Amino acid sequence: MLVLAFASHANAGGALQWSGFALLRASNGADTTTLREKELSAQLHVGVDWSPSPFFAAHVHLLARSDDANARRGHFGIVEAYLEARNKYVRLRGGAFFLQTSRENVDALWEPAYTITPSALNSWLGEEFRPIGIDASFTHRGLTAGGTIYRGNDTFGGIPVERGWSMRDHWITLGEWIPVDPDYYTSASAENDHRAGWSARGAWTGANALVQLTHIDNRGDGLPYGRLFNWGTRFDIVSGEYSQGDWTLAAESGWGPSFLIVEGVKYTTDLRASYALVSRRFPRFRATLRADDFKARTHERALTFAFLWTPPGHLRPGFEVTTSDGEQRVIVELRYSFH
Amino acid sequence: MTRTLPLLLLLLGPLARAATVNVTVRDARGGAVNDAVVYAVPEGRELPLAKKSAIMDQKNRMFVPHVLPVQTGTSVRFPNSDDIRHQVYSFSSAKQFQIPLYKGTPANPVVFDRAGVVSLGCSIHDRMTAYVVVVDTPYFATTDRKGRGAISSVGAGKYSLRVWYPDMTTEPAPVPLTLAASDNQELVVTVRK
Repeated sequence: MLVLAFASHANAGGALQWSGFALLRASNGADTTTLREKELSAQLHVGVDWSPSPFFAAHVHLLARSDDANARRGHFGIVEAYLEARNKYVRLRGGAFFLQTSRENVDALWEPAYTITPSALNSWLGEEFRPIGIDASFTHRGLTAGGTIYRGNDTFGGIPVERGWSMRDHWITLGEWIPVDPDYYTSASAENDHRAGWSARGAWTGANALVQLTHIDNRGDGLPYGRLFNWGTRFDIVSGEYSQGDWTLAAESGWGPSFLIVEGVKYTTDLRASYALVSRRFPRFRATLRADDFKARTHERALTFAFLWTPPGHLRPGFEVTTSDGEQRVIVELRYSFH
Repeated sequence: MTRTLPLLLLLLGPLARAATVNVTVRDARGGAVNDAVVYAVPEGRELPLAKKSAIMDQKNRMFVPHVLPVQTGTSVRFPNSDDIRHQVYSFSSAKQFQIPLYKGTPANPVVFDRAGVVSLGCSIHDRMTAYVVVVDTPYFATTDRKGRGAISSVGAGKYSLRVWYPDMTTEPAPVPLTLAASDNQELVVTVRK
Protein backbone atom coordinates (compact mmCIF):
# COMPACT_ATOMS: atom_id res chain seq x y z
CA MET A 1 0.00 0.00 0.00
CA LEU A 2 2.90 2.33 0.82
CA VAL A 3 4.40 1.62 -2.60
CA LEU A 4 1.11 2.46 -4.30
CA ALA A 5 0.73 5.70 -2.36
CA PHE A 6 4.29 6.76 -3.13
CA ALA A 7 3.96 5.87 -6.79
CA SER A 8 0.87 8.00 -7.31
CA HIS A 9 2.70 11.06 -5.95
CA ALA A 10 5.98 10.35 -7.71
CA ASN A 11 4.29 10.68 -11.10
CA ALA A 12 3.56 14.36 -10.53
CA GLY A 13 6.30 15.38 -12.98
CA GLY A 14 9.97 15.28 -13.81
CA ALA A 15 12.09 12.65 -15.58
CA LEU A 16 11.50 9.87 -13.01
CA GLN A 17 8.33 7.84 -13.37
CA TRP A 18 6.84 4.95 -11.45
CA SER A 19 4.35 2.50 -12.95
CA GLY A 20 3.10 -0.97 -12.25
CA PHE A 21 0.30 -3.13 -11.06
CA ALA A 22 -0.76 -5.36 -8.21
CA LEU A 23 -2.93 -8.43 -8.57
CA LEU A 24 -4.87 -10.76 -6.33
CA ARG A 25 -5.70 -14.09 -7.91
CA ALA A 26 -7.86 -17.06 -6.98
CA SER A 27 -7.94 -20.35 -8.85
CA ASN A 28 -9.30 -23.86 -8.54
CA GLY A 29 -5.79 -24.95 -7.55
CA ALA A 30 -5.02 -26.96 -10.69
CA ASP A 31 -2.04 -29.17 -9.97
CA THR A 32 -0.68 -30.41 -13.30
CA THR A 33 2.71 -29.20 -14.51
CA THR A 34 1.08 -27.31 -17.37
CA LEU A 35 -1.71 -25.64 -15.40
CA ARG A 36 -0.28 -25.39 -11.89
CA GLU A 37 -1.69 -22.39 -10.03
CA LYS A 38 -2.04 -21.79 -6.30
CA GLU A 39 -5.57 -21.38 -4.96
CA LEU A 40 -4.71 -17.88 -3.76
CA SER A 41 -1.77 -15.77 -4.88
CA ALA A 42 -0.66 -12.18 -5.23
CA GLN A 43 1.90 -10.28 -7.28
CA LEU A 44 3.26 -6.75 -7.30
CA HIS A 45 5.11 -5.37 -10.33
CA VAL A 46 6.82 -2.00 -10.18
CA GLY A 47 8.48 -0.21 -13.07
CA VAL A 48 10.86 2.68 -12.50
CA ASP A 49 11.76 4.76 -15.55
CA TRP A 50 14.18 7.64 -15.75
CA SER A 51 14.21 9.55 -19.03
CA PRO A 52 15.94 12.94 -18.83
CA SER A 53 15.58 13.33 -22.59
CA PRO A 54 13.79 11.53 -25.43
CA PHE A 55 17.19 10.12 -26.50
CA PHE A 56 17.96 8.24 -23.31
CA ALA A 57 16.12 6.09 -20.80
CA ALA A 58 16.82 3.81 -17.86
CA HIS A 59 14.33 1.14 -16.77
CA VAL A 60 14.02 -1.20 -13.83
CA HIS A 61 11.22 -3.73 -13.38
CA LEU A 62 10.82 -5.14 -9.87
CA LEU A 63 8.64 -8.01 -8.79
CA ALA A 64 7.30 -9.40 -5.53
CA ARG A 65 5.02 -12.47 -5.39
CA SER A 66 3.52 -14.80 -2.86
CA ASP A 67 4.02 -17.97 -4.94
CA ASP A 68 7.72 -18.67 -5.48
CA ALA A 69 7.04 -21.94 -7.35
CA ASN A 70 9.54 -23.59 -4.98
CA ALA A 71 12.33 -21.55 -6.52
CA ARG A 72 15.39 -20.20 -4.74
CA ARG A 73 15.01 -16.42 -4.36
CA GLY A 74 11.64 -16.65 -6.06
CA HIS A 75 9.65 -14.17 -3.95
CA PHE A 76 11.39 -10.89 -4.82
CA GLY A 77 13.69 -9.76 -7.54
CA ILE A 78 14.63 -7.74 -10.56
CA VAL A 79 12.91 -8.77 -13.78
CA GLU A 80 14.57 -6.23 -16.06
CA ALA A 81 17.18 -3.52 -15.66
CA TYR A 82 18.62 -1.69 -18.65
CA LEU A 83 19.82 1.53 -20.19
CA GLU A 84 18.59 2.62 -23.58
CA ALA A 85 19.75 5.14 -26.17
CA ARG A 86 17.78 5.84 -29.33
CA ASN A 87 17.24 8.11 -32.27
CA LYS A 88 14.85 8.01 -35.19
CA TYR A 89 16.31 4.84 -36.69
CA VAL A 90 18.50 3.10 -34.09
CA ARG A 91 17.87 1.80 -30.60
CA LEU A 92 20.59 0.43 -28.32
CA ARG A 93 19.68 -1.35 -25.11
CA GLY A 94 22.12 -2.71 -22.53
CA GLY A 95 21.31 -4.74 -19.42
CA ALA A 96 18.78 -7.47 -18.69
CA PHE A 97 15.60 -7.39 -20.72
CA PHE A 98 12.87 -9.45 -22.38
CA LEU A 99 13.64 -10.22 -26.01
CA GLN A 100 11.24 -8.38 -28.31
CA THR A 101 9.31 -11.30 -29.74
CA SER A 102 5.98 -11.76 -27.97
CA ARG A 103 2.72 -10.78 -29.67
CA GLU A 104 0.84 -11.31 -26.39
CA ASN A 105 2.96 -9.48 -23.82
CA VAL A 106 2.48 -6.12 -25.48
CA ASP A 107 1.68 -3.94 -22.48
CA ALA A 108 4.27 -2.19 -20.31
CA LEU A 109 6.22 -4.48 -17.92
CA TRP A 110 5.63 -7.36 -20.37
CA GLU A 111 2.05 -7.64 -19.18
CA PRO A 112 -0.19 -9.85 -21.35
CA ALA A 113 -2.82 -7.71 -23.02
CA TYR A 114 -5.36 -10.34 -24.07
CA THR A 115 -5.39 -12.97 -21.32
CA ILE A 116 -4.39 -13.44 -17.69
CA THR A 117 -1.74 -16.09 -18.34
CA PRO A 118 0.26 -16.30 -21.57
CA SER A 119 0.74 -19.13 -24.01
CA ALA A 120 3.07 -22.03 -23.29
CA LEU A 121 5.62 -20.43 -25.62
CA ASN A 122 5.71 -17.07 -23.85
CA SER A 123 5.34 -18.64 -20.42
CA TRP A 124 8.59 -20.47 -21.20
CA LEU A 125 10.37 -17.37 -22.51
CA GLY A 126 9.27 -15.41 -19.44
CA GLU A 127 10.28 -18.18 -17.04
CA GLU A 128 13.63 -19.24 -18.48
CA PHE A 129 15.05 -16.64 -20.89
CA ARG A 130 16.32 -13.16 -20.08
CA PRO A 131 19.15 -11.84 -22.25
CA ILE A 132 21.80 -10.04 -20.22
CA GLY A 133 23.76 -8.10 -22.77
CA ILE A 134 23.32 -5.65 -25.61
CA ASP A 135 20.50 -5.36 -28.11
CA ALA A 136 20.64 -3.16 -31.19
CA SER A 137 17.87 -2.56 -33.72
CA PHE A 138 17.50 -0.47 -36.85
CA THR A 139 14.10 0.53 -38.19
CA HIS A 140 13.33 2.26 -41.48
CA ARG A 141 10.29 2.28 -43.75
CA GLY A 142 8.50 -0.40 -41.79
CA LEU A 143 11.42 -2.83 -41.73
CA THR A 144 13.34 -3.68 -38.56
CA ALA A 145 16.54 -5.62 -38.16
CA GLY A 146 17.80 -6.41 -34.68
CA GLY A 147 20.47 -8.43 -32.94
CA THR A 148 21.39 -9.34 -29.40
CA ILE A 149 24.62 -10.55 -27.81
CA TYR A 150 24.10 -11.81 -24.30
CA ARG A 151 25.49 -13.64 -21.32
CA GLY A 152 23.67 -15.94 -18.94
CA ASN A 153 20.82 -18.21 -20.04
CA ASP A 154 23.11 -21.27 -20.17
CA THR A 155 20.31 -23.47 -18.76
CA PHE A 156 17.71 -22.26 -21.28
CA GLY A 157 15.83 -25.37 -22.47
CA GLY A 158 15.71 -27.30 -19.19
CA ILE A 159 12.12 -26.32 -18.32
CA PRO A 160 10.22 -27.76 -21.33
CA VAL A 161 12.38 -30.90 -21.52
CA GLU A 162 12.88 -31.83 -17.86
CA ARG A 163 9.96 -30.27 -15.99
CA GLY A 164 7.47 -29.76 -18.78
CA TRP A 165 5.72 -26.80 -20.33
CA SER A 166 3.65 -24.51 -18.16
CA MET A 167 1.10 -21.81 -18.89
CA ARG A 168 1.64 -19.22 -16.18
CA ASP A 169 3.15 -15.80 -15.62
CA HIS A 170 6.16 -16.66 -13.45
CA TRP A 171 8.76 -14.24 -14.82
CA ILE A 172 12.19 -15.36 -13.71
CA THR A 173 14.16 -12.73 -11.83
CA LEU A 174 17.90 -12.15 -11.89
CA GLY A 175 19.62 -14.64 -9.62
CA GLU A 176 16.53 -16.82 -9.21
CA TRP A 177 16.89 -20.59 -9.49
CA ILE A 178 13.78 -22.53 -10.62
CA PRO A 179 13.74 -26.33 -10.10
CA VAL A 180 13.36 -28.43 -13.25
CA ASP A 181 13.69 -31.79 -11.55
CA PRO A 182 14.65 -33.04 -8.06
CA ASP A 183 18.36 -32.55 -8.78
CA TYR A 184 18.73 -29.52 -11.03
CA TYR A 185 17.67 -25.92 -11.42
CA THR A 186 17.45 -23.42 -14.23
CA SER A 187 18.57 -19.81 -13.95
CA ALA A 188 18.56 -17.02 -16.52
CA SER A 189 21.60 -15.59 -14.71
CA ALA A 190 23.61 -18.81 -15.16
CA GLU A 191 26.86 -18.17 -17.02
CA ASN A 192 28.87 -21.35 -16.66
CA ASP A 193 30.59 -21.95 -19.99
CA HIS A 194 31.68 -18.34 -20.75
CA ARG A 195 30.19 -18.54 -24.22
CA ALA A 196 28.03 -15.60 -25.28
CA GLY A 197 24.66 -16.37 -26.78
CA TRP A 198 23.12 -14.43 -29.62
CA SER A 199 19.81 -13.67 -31.26
CA ALA A 200 18.76 -12.03 -34.51
CA ARG A 201 15.39 -10.81 -35.70
CA GLY A 202 13.77 -9.18 -38.67
CA ALA A 203 10.32 -7.67 -38.82
CA TRP A 204 8.00 -6.05 -41.29
CA THR A 205 5.32 -3.67 -40.05
CA GLY A 206 2.38 -2.66 -42.21
CA ALA A 207 -0.65 -0.49 -41.53
CA ASN A 208 -2.48 -3.15 -39.54
CA ALA A 209 -0.10 -6.09 -39.45
CA LEU A 210 3.30 -7.23 -38.30
CA VAL A 211 5.41 -10.27 -39.16
CA GLN A 212 8.66 -11.11 -37.36
CA LEU A 213 11.28 -13.84 -37.60
CA THR A 214 13.59 -14.47 -34.65
CA HIS A 215 16.49 -16.84 -34.09
CA ILE A 216 17.83 -17.59 -30.61
CA ASP A 217 21.02 -19.52 -29.85
CA ASN A 218 22.30 -19.65 -26.29
CA ARG A 219 25.43 -21.61 -27.39
CA GLY A 220 25.21 -23.64 -24.21
CA ASP A 221 27.75 -26.46 -23.93
CA GLY A 222 25.25 -28.99 -22.53
CA LEU A 223 27.34 -29.85 -19.47
CA PRO A 224 26.47 -29.96 -15.75
CA TYR A 225 27.74 -27.32 -13.32
CA GLY A 226 26.81 -28.27 -9.78
CA ARG A 227 23.01 -27.99 -9.43
CA LEU A 228 22.72 -26.21 -12.79
CA PHE A 229 22.69 -28.15 -16.06
CA ASN A 230 23.53 -26.24 -19.23
CA TRP A 231 21.33 -26.89 -22.25
CA GLY A 232 22.44 -26.01 -25.77
CA THR A 233 19.29 -24.53 -27.30
CA ARG A 234 18.59 -23.08 -30.71
CA PHE A 235 15.08 -21.82 -31.29
CA ASP A 236 13.34 -20.08 -34.17
CA ILE A 237 10.14 -18.11 -33.82
CA VAL A 238 7.84 -16.76 -36.49
CA SER A 239 5.24 -14.37 -35.12
CA GLY A 240 2.54 -12.24 -36.58
CA GLU A 241 -0.45 -10.15 -35.73
CA TYR A 242 -3.24 -8.37 -37.53
CA SER A 243 -5.64 -5.80 -36.13
CA GLN A 244 -8.76 -4.39 -37.72
CA GLY A 245 -11.19 -2.27 -35.75
CA ASP A 246 -11.87 -4.03 -32.45
CA TRP A 247 -10.44 -7.38 -33.58
CA THR A 248 -6.91 -8.67 -33.11
CA LEU A 249 -5.44 -11.88 -34.47
CA ALA A 250 -2.05 -12.99 -33.19
CA ALA A 251 -0.03 -16.15 -33.64
CA GLU A 252 3.47 -17.42 -32.94
CA SER A 253 5.22 -20.64 -33.77
CA GLY A 254 8.57 -21.70 -32.39
CA TRP A 255 10.74 -24.73 -32.94
CA GLY A 256 14.29 -25.92 -32.37
CA PRO A 257 16.58 -28.47 -30.74
CA SER A 258 17.91 -28.49 -27.22
CA PHE A 259 20.68 -30.82 -26.08
CA LEU A 260 22.65 -31.85 -23.05
CA ILE A 261 25.59 -34.18 -22.63
CA VAL A 262 25.48 -36.92 -20.03
CA GLU A 263 28.59 -39.04 -19.54
CA GLY A 264 29.81 -38.10 -22.98
CA VAL A 265 26.53 -38.92 -24.76
CA LYS A 266 24.59 -36.10 -26.40
CA TYR A 267 20.84 -36.19 -25.94
CA THR A 268 18.73 -33.90 -28.16
CA THR A 269 15.07 -33.03 -27.80
CA ASP A 270 13.12 -31.16 -30.44
CA LEU A 271 11.03 -28.39 -28.91
CA ARG A 272 7.94 -27.00 -30.52
CA ALA A 273 5.39 -24.48 -29.26
CA SER A 274 2.72 -22.54 -31.11
CA TYR A 275 -0.41 -20.60 -30.38
CA ALA A 276 -3.06 -18.62 -32.18
CA LEU A 277 -5.47 -16.20 -30.57
CA VAL A 278 -8.38 -14.07 -31.57
CA SER A 279 -9.37 -11.18 -29.35
CA ARG A 280 -12.18 -8.67 -29.52
CA ARG A 281 -12.39 -5.45 -27.60
CA PHE A 282 -15.78 -4.20 -26.46
CA PRO A 283 -16.48 -0.80 -24.85
CA ARG A 284 -15.98 -2.11 -21.31
CA PHE A 285 -14.36 -5.52 -21.70
CA ARG A 286 -12.20 -7.76 -23.84
CA ALA A 287 -12.78 -11.40 -24.78
CA THR A 288 -10.05 -13.70 -26.09
CA LEU A 289 -9.85 -17.27 -27.30
CA ARG A 290 -6.43 -18.90 -27.64
CA ALA A 291 -5.34 -22.34 -28.82
CA ASP A 292 -1.93 -23.72 -27.81
CA ASP A 293 0.06 -26.65 -29.16
CA PHE A 294 3.39 -27.58 -27.54
CA LYS A 295 5.76 -30.52 -27.58
CA ALA A 296 8.97 -31.59 -25.91
CA ARG A 297 8.97 -35.17 -24.62
CA THR A 298 5.17 -35.21 -24.73
CA HIS A 299 2.74 -33.48 -27.04
CA GLU A 300 0.06 -31.33 -25.43
CA ARG A 301 -2.66 -28.94 -26.47
CA ALA A 302 -4.61 -26.32 -24.56
CA LEU A 303 -7.56 -24.04 -25.10
CA THR A 304 -7.95 -20.78 -23.15
CA PHE A 305 -10.86 -18.38 -22.88
CA ALA A 306 -10.28 -15.07 -21.10
CA PHE A 307 -12.68 -12.30 -20.20
CA LEU A 308 -11.18 -9.02 -18.98
CA TRP A 309 -13.28 -6.10 -17.72
CA THR A 310 -11.70 -2.82 -18.71
CA PRO A 311 -13.73 -0.07 -17.05
CA PRO A 312 -12.28 3.44 -16.81
CA GLY A 313 -9.90 3.76 -13.92
CA HIS A 314 -7.28 1.53 -12.40
CA LEU A 315 -9.06 -1.76 -11.74
CA ARG A 316 -9.19 -4.68 -14.15
CA PRO A 317 -11.13 -7.75 -13.02
CA GLY A 318 -10.53 -10.83 -15.11
CA PHE A 319 -11.69 -14.38 -15.60
CA GLU A 320 -9.88 -17.14 -17.45
CA VAL A 321 -10.47 -20.84 -18.01
CA THR A 322 -7.89 -23.15 -19.59
CA THR A 323 -8.32 -26.79 -20.52
CA SER A 324 -5.42 -29.05 -21.38
CA ASP A 325 -5.46 -32.80 -21.84
CA GLY A 326 -8.56 -33.30 -19.75
CA GLU A 327 -7.54 -30.95 -16.92
CA GLN A 328 -9.10 -27.57 -16.31
CA ARG A 329 -7.88 -24.44 -14.57
CA VAL A 330 -10.13 -21.53 -13.62
CA ILE A 331 -8.69 -18.18 -12.58
CA VAL A 332 -10.44 -15.13 -11.19
CA GLU A 333 -8.29 -12.08 -10.71
CA LEU A 334 -8.44 -8.46 -9.62
CA ARG A 335 -5.68 -6.27 -11.03
CA TYR A 336 -4.95 -2.70 -10.01
CA SER A 337 -2.71 -0.54 -12.20
CA PHE A 338 -0.98 2.51 -10.80
CA HIS A 339 0.73 5.03 -13.09
CA MET B 1 -36.98 34.11 -46.17
CA THR B 2 -36.52 37.75 -47.13
CA ARG B 3 -34.41 38.37 -44.02
CA THR B 4 -32.66 35.00 -44.11
CA LEU B 5 -31.25 35.22 -47.61
CA PRO B 6 -29.07 38.30 -47.02
CA LEU B 7 -27.88 36.76 -43.77
CA LEU B 8 -26.94 33.57 -45.56
CA LEU B 9 -25.14 35.53 -48.23
CA LEU B 10 -23.30 37.47 -45.56
CA LEU B 11 -22.20 34.31 -43.82
CA LEU B 12 -21.41 32.29 -46.90
CA GLY B 13 -19.99 35.19 -48.84
CA PRO B 14 -16.40 34.75 -47.73
CA LEU B 15 -16.59 31.03 -48.54
CA ALA B 16 -18.03 31.76 -51.92
CA ARG B 17 -15.07 34.04 -52.55
CA ALA B 18 -12.53 31.49 -51.26
CA ALA B 19 -10.43 29.40 -53.59
CA THR B 20 -9.73 25.68 -53.61
CA VAL B 21 -6.51 24.08 -54.74
CA ASN B 22 -6.74 20.39 -55.62
CA VAL B 23 -3.27 18.86 -55.54
CA THR B 24 -2.32 15.42 -56.78
CA VAL B 25 1.07 14.16 -55.66
CA ARG B 26 2.72 11.48 -57.76
CA ASP B 27 6.09 9.79 -57.67
CA ALA B 28 8.47 9.59 -60.62
CA ARG B 29 6.74 6.42 -61.88
CA GLY B 30 3.33 8.08 -61.79
CA GLY B 31 2.17 6.28 -58.67
CA ALA B 32 0.01 8.08 -56.11
CA VAL B 33 1.74 9.35 -52.97
CA ASN B 34 -0.58 9.17 -50.00
CA ASP B 35 -0.05 10.79 -46.60
CA ALA B 36 1.75 13.71 -48.25
CA VAL B 37 1.09 17.13 -46.77
CA VAL B 38 0.39 19.86 -49.31
CA TYR B 39 0.27 23.39 -48.00
CA ALA B 40 0.05 26.92 -49.39
CA VAL B 41 2.20 29.53 -47.66
CA PRO B 42 1.11 33.11 -48.36
CA GLU B 43 3.84 35.27 -49.82
CA GLY B 44 4.75 38.57 -48.30
CA ARG B 45 2.58 38.32 -45.22
CA GLU B 46 2.91 36.54 -41.91
CA LEU B 47 -0.05 34.91 -40.26
CA PRO B 48 -0.70 34.93 -36.52
CA LEU B 49 -0.12 31.72 -34.57
CA ALA B 50 -3.08 29.41 -34.56
CA LYS B 51 -5.16 28.94 -31.45
CA LYS B 52 -6.53 25.65 -32.57
CA SER B 53 -6.46 22.13 -31.27
CA ALA B 54 -5.99 18.78 -32.94
CA ILE B 55 -5.92 15.13 -31.94
CA MET B 56 -3.39 12.36 -32.55
CA ASP B 57 -5.00 9.17 -31.24
CA GLN B 58 -3.50 5.74 -30.49
CA LYS B 59 -5.53 2.71 -31.56
CA ASN B 60 -4.42 -0.89 -32.00
CA ARG B 61 -0.86 0.21 -31.25
CA MET B 62 -0.84 2.70 -34.11
CA PHE B 63 -0.96 6.46 -34.20
CA VAL B 64 -4.09 7.74 -35.92
CA PRO B 65 -3.65 9.56 -38.23
CA HIS B 66 -0.19 8.55 -39.42
CA VAL B 67 0.45 12.11 -40.63
CA LEU B 68 -1.15 15.10 -38.89
CA PRO B 69 -0.60 18.56 -40.41
CA VAL B 70 -1.20 21.49 -38.06
CA GLN B 71 -0.63 25.21 -38.15
CA THR B 72 2.13 26.60 -35.93
CA GLY B 73 0.72 27.24 -32.48
CA THR B 74 -1.78 24.35 -32.51
CA SER B 75 -2.31 22.33 -29.31
CA VAL B 76 -2.35 18.59 -29.97
CA ARG B 77 -3.90 16.08 -27.60
CA PHE B 78 -2.71 12.47 -27.55
CA PRO B 79 -5.57 10.32 -26.27
CA ASN B 80 -4.78 6.62 -25.81
CA SER B 81 -7.80 4.68 -27.07
CA ASP B 82 -6.08 1.34 -26.44
CA ASP B 83 -6.54 -0.75 -23.30
CA ILE B 84 -2.77 -0.91 -22.86
CA ARG B 85 -0.27 1.80 -21.95
CA HIS B 86 1.76 3.96 -24.29
CA GLN B 87 4.63 6.38 -23.83
CA VAL B 88 4.75 8.98 -26.61
CA TYR B 89 7.95 10.86 -27.37
CA SER B 90 9.69 12.87 -30.06
CA PHE B 91 13.29 13.97 -30.43
CA SER B 92 12.73 16.12 -33.50
CA SER B 93 14.29 19.57 -33.26
CA ALA B 94 10.94 21.20 -34.08
CA LYS B 95 9.49 19.80 -30.83
CA GLN B 96 11.18 17.51 -28.34
CA PHE B 97 8.87 16.07 -25.74
CA GLN B 98 7.83 12.92 -23.97
CA ILE B 99 4.58 12.00 -22.28
CA PRO B 100 5.04 9.58 -19.37
CA LEU B 101 3.43 6.14 -19.57
CA TYR B 102 -0.34 6.52 -19.60
CA LYS B 103 -3.80 5.26 -20.43
CA GLY B 104 -6.69 7.54 -21.31
CA THR B 105 -5.94 11.18 -22.19
CA PRO B 106 -3.06 13.15 -20.67
CA ALA B 107 -4.14 16.26 -18.82
CA ASN B 108 -2.09 18.72 -20.88
CA PRO B 109 -1.88 18.93 -24.67
CA VAL B 110 1.41 19.54 -26.44
CA VAL B 111 1.70 22.92 -28.16
CA PHE B 112 3.59 22.83 -31.46
CA ASP B 113 4.99 26.34 -31.63
CA ARG B 114 7.69 25.91 -34.25
CA ALA B 115 7.38 24.96 -37.93
CA GLY B 116 8.95 21.67 -38.95
CA VAL B 117 8.38 17.93 -39.01
CA VAL B 118 7.98 16.16 -35.68
CA SER B 119 8.52 12.37 -35.72
CA LEU B 120 6.60 10.50 -33.03
CA GLY B 121 7.35 7.18 -31.40
CA CYS B 122 6.27 5.03 -28.46
CA SER B 123 8.86 3.77 -25.97
CA ILE B 124 6.89 0.57 -25.38
CA HIS B 125 5.95 -0.27 -28.98
CA ASP B 126 8.72 0.22 -31.51
CA ARG B 127 6.44 -0.17 -34.51
CA MET B 128 4.43 2.94 -33.62
CA THR B 129 5.53 5.90 -35.71
CA ALA B 130 3.77 9.01 -36.93
CA TYR B 131 4.43 12.59 -37.95
CA VAL B 132 3.10 15.97 -36.91
CA VAL B 133 3.87 18.38 -39.76
CA VAL B 134 3.84 21.93 -38.40
CA VAL B 135 3.36 24.60 -41.09
CA ASP B 136 3.11 28.39 -41.01
CA THR B 137 -0.25 28.50 -42.72
CA PRO B 138 -3.83 27.42 -42.12
CA TYR B 139 -4.10 26.23 -45.73
CA PHE B 140 -3.07 22.60 -45.88
CA ALA B 141 -4.34 19.11 -46.66
CA THR B 142 -3.19 15.49 -46.51
CA THR B 143 -3.32 13.40 -49.66
CA ASP B 144 -5.45 10.28 -49.78
CA ARG B 145 -4.67 6.88 -51.32
CA LYS B 146 -5.10 8.38 -54.76
CA GLY B 147 -2.55 11.04 -53.92
CA ARG B 148 -5.17 13.77 -53.90
CA GLY B 149 -5.49 16.54 -51.32
CA ALA B 150 -7.85 19.52 -51.45
CA ILE B 151 -6.77 22.80 -49.83
CA SER B 152 -9.98 24.73 -49.38
CA SER B 153 -11.12 28.15 -48.14
CA VAL B 154 -7.98 29.86 -49.44
CA GLY B 155 -8.20 33.64 -49.77
CA ALA B 156 -7.15 35.40 -52.95
CA GLY B 157 -3.46 36.24 -53.22
CA LYS B 158 -0.03 34.87 -53.98
CA TYR B 159 1.15 31.68 -52.41
CA SER B 160 3.97 29.18 -52.48
CA LEU B 161 2.70 25.59 -52.69
CA ARG B 162 4.93 23.15 -50.82
CA VAL B 163 4.88 19.40 -50.40
CA TRP B 164 6.18 17.13 -47.66
CA TYR B 165 5.89 13.34 -47.53
CA PRO B 166 7.22 10.61 -45.21
CA ASP B 167 10.85 9.61 -45.83
CA MET B 168 11.36 12.67 -48.01
CA THR B 169 15.07 13.29 -48.60
CA THR B 170 14.86 16.39 -50.83
CA GLU B 171 11.98 18.83 -50.62
CA PRO B 172 10.38 19.43 -54.03
CA ALA B 173 10.74 22.94 -55.39
CA PRO B 174 7.87 25.18 -54.23
CA VAL B 175 5.24 25.94 -56.84
CA PRO B 176 4.18 29.60 -57.10
CA LEU B 177 0.42 30.10 -57.02
CA THR B 178 -1.70 33.11 -57.72
CA LEU B 179 -5.28 32.66 -56.63
CA ALA B 180 -8.29 34.75 -57.40
CA ALA B 181 -11.49 34.63 -55.42
CA SER B 182 -13.50 31.48 -56.10
CA ASP B 183 -10.65 29.88 -58.05
CA ASN B 184 -10.64 26.13 -58.32
CA GLN B 185 -7.18 25.04 -59.42
CA GLU B 186 -5.88 21.58 -60.21
CA LEU B 187 -2.19 20.86 -59.75
CA VAL B 188 -0.04 17.79 -60.16
CA VAL B 189 3.23 17.66 -58.26
CA THR B 190 5.80 14.97 -59.02
CA VAL B 191 8.17 14.05 -56.20
CA ARG B 192 11.26 11.91 -56.04
CA LYS B 193 10.26 8.79 -54.09
